[in-house]
Amino acid sequence: MNNLSALLASARMRLITISRYPGQIVLDIAVPVIFAALPIMLGRASGEAAASAAFSRNAGTPNYVAYMLIGSSVFSIVSMAFWHIAYWLRWEQESGTLEAIYLTPTHRAWVAGGTVLYSCLRSLVAAFAAYLIGAWVFGISPFQGEMGLALVFLAVGLVPVYGLALLFGALILKVKEANSLVSLMQWGVSFLMGVFFPITVFPPTLRAIALLFPPTWMTNGVRSALLGMGYFFGEWYFDLAVLWLFLLVTPLAGVRIFSWAERSLRRNEGVGQF
Amino acid sequence: MKASGNFNAFRVMAWKELTILARYPVEFVASFGRIFLIVAIFSLAGKMFFEGRPASAAGGMAAPASGVVIYGFVLYMFLSDTLWTIGYAVRQEQLQGTLEQLYLTPVSKLISLVARVTNTLVWNGMLTLAAAALMVAIIGRSPVQNPWLGAYLLIMALAGTFGVGFAFAALSLRLRETAQTVANFLQFGLMILCANFFPFSALPPWVVNISRLIPLAYGVDAFRSTLMGYPQGFPELAPIQAEVVIVTLFGVGMPLLGYWLYRRAELHARQQGSLSMY
Repeated sequence: MNNLSALLASARMRLITISRYPGQIVLDIAVPVIFAALPIMLGRASGEAAASAAFSRNAGTPNYVAYMLIGSSVFSIVSMAFWHIAYWLRWEQESGTLEAIYLTPTHRAWVAGGTVLYSCLRSLVAAFAAYLIGAWVFGISPFQGEMGLALVFLAVGLVPVYGLALLFGALILKVKEANSLVSLMQWGVSFLMGVFFPITVFPPTLRAIALLFPPTWMTNGVRSALLGMGYFFGEWYFDLAVLWLFLLVTPLAGVRIFSWAERSLRRNEGVGQF
Repeated sequence: MKASGNFNAFRVMAWKELTILARYPVEFVASFGRIFLIVAIFSLAGKMFFEGRPASAAGGMAAPASGVVIYGFVLYMFLSDTLWTIGYAVRQEQLQGTLEQLYLTPVSKLISLVARVTNTLVWNGMLTLAAAALMVAIIGRSPVQNPWLGAYLLIMALAGTFGVGFAFAALSLRLRETAQTVANFLQFGLMILCANFFPFSALPPWVVNISRLIPLAYGVDAFRSTLMGYPQGFPELAPIQAEVVIVTLFGVGMPLLGYWLYRRAELHARQQGSLSMY
């Protein structure tokens, strides 16, 4: 019970902090819309009907506006997971409170859980708002296809995404250059998950790497549920099963590697060094 | 201070920035990787609209599409950093507590501002060449017409953005922490309004009218239209002669205006005793 209240307090503290920066919240919503607008505008400038036909041939759906918006909205969720976890660790290090967190009777997993809860809430609200506003701006219906199934893909995909973020957090603890690494990782993630294109455009090796990456399955699952473009394994339940496998494996790997990074830091110079 | 003294000060300041840059190899490598990934993402996205499509069905866009994206990107690379680096550098000096001391030295304030962005420009030049080569490999070769006029327009647009950079540095002194959020908004706003990655014809007419109020938009339009050899429909905002005049005025006038604004903000901060407050 005490642990749970520590988790909720950690999430609440971060939500209160972000509520003091309304400009940042607006930016969270605006960025995915603007990000998606760039390729959408290029498509529109090249002739609406011809662009749709070409896109349909290459990506499997003529609805390139929704395709791009879904890609950028899911990307914003994934990207925020990495930013929030990495910056939480780095911020605690820089402000000198990480060492103190390790010495409190509440296990740090609960404090980290609060950060994850805050990050989930913030990124989901921003992604949904961005998708709805983007759909309104570009004149498409946001409610199409199998909405429930898309939400299931999103919900199941969130767990491995935060598992990956934890893996990344271990790297931040070691290398300590959060800004550079997160911004590189952010673009690496969007590339591998096929933010604006299907991963079939990749050469076989790169495609195999992309398929080992949970956000790729999450993005394709949401897109296929909403736009009916086809799942990797033909049926939704096969793709969802793969995502479930990631759900079991990735957090375990994340915790294991994070713990290893922590241990090695505590043995050497302590987690408060930065 | 004499001209040679100023030059030496500029050299030392630029060297200091380069030394700092070299001490963060992760950032060095990450910036290179980041640009390659951004280029690959947008090039592959653009390819989805043009691959396997007959040129006649491209809405008049197939031929200049690669030029629009590649030249727009080249300009974006230079402009985005020039715009914000100066302001961020001033902010960084505030955070480190060295801005007040810097103002007590006899070094020209203008040189101090320009030195911040010199390395970025050189590094960006190398990144841009490599990224443009990657773009050509993915979406195809783009025509290179009128290179001298193109280079002139690039220099003028850059000079103008230096001016905007000075103005933003002035804003950083006034707004402090909020300046970063304002910068982010402006950066994304300009990305759409200046249509770096797509033609202006993709924007709704009322947005194009707003773009027409921004000199930088003429810089983007004139630069890429000139290098593409003025294909049908380009330049999109005004006749090229008018765009060259606007870009020249921007390149000459904006640095003067921006620097004047910066000196005013700086004077205000010194009178208020808030130069090192953040």
